[in-house]
Amino acid sequence: MLERIDPTVKRMTCYIAACALVLSALMEAVYLVIGAWNMTVLWGNLLGAAVAVLNFFLMGLTIQRSLGLSEEDAKKFIRVSQSLRMLMILVVCAIGAAIPAVFDLLAVVLPQFFPRIGTMLWPKFEKNKQTNE
Amino acid sequence: MLELAIGIILGCCALGAGCAMIAGIGPGIGEGNAVAKACEAIGRQPESRGAVTTTMIMGCAIAETTGLYALIIAILLIFLAPNQLVNVLLRALGR
Repeated sequence: MLERIDPTVKRMTCYIAACALVLSALMEAVYLVIGAWNMTVLWGNLLGAAVAVLNFFLMGLTIQRSLGLSEEDAKKFIRVSQSLRMLMILVVCAIGAAIPAVFDLLAVVLPQFFPRIGTMLWPKFEKNKQTNE
Repeated sequence: MLELAIGIILGCCALGAGCAMIAGIGPGIGEGNAVAKACEAIGRQPESRGAVTTTMIMGCAIAETTGLYALIIAILLIFLAPNQLVNVLLRALGR
């Protein structure tokens, strides 16, 4: 199963997971500094970051699969995938909101933007890698 | 009267969340078009598959953020805003 995953997808998911880890640590630190940290923040952060990375991985898999399809099928496939992934995030955020004793809603929601920040930093990361090589 | 005011607040929050989710349609269409063009490009130059995949993933991640913004706004409007607004209303009425 894992061998069938495109190396580009694997590499980028690992990069996004690393970014999510670093940014999660930063978020926890900010919560600690402002004195709002408790266990709900930690659980919420773990849930949110895991779903954000999973969402990115599923997006990569969708793109990998859709590149082998015809144009029309690829369009439909990616639209369905995007809707389902949005639904997944909505369900996870609803779980975060429904159990405030376990999850902090803001800590579930904020990690959804970590892949975007990672994507923004990717060109710099690639440039540094090329310079080092 | 108070029930009506709370009902209006809840209705407006739900309506706002629904309106916010209109923005969720755009990324799906955009990503679909981008991937369709990527398929075409790979069909023309199969050796560029790796580069196209990387660019596609980056592009889709960026495009999807727009939908995520809308989703987060909708989630906050559904789960957080009604309580806050009802509290503000009750405080204004002195209850």
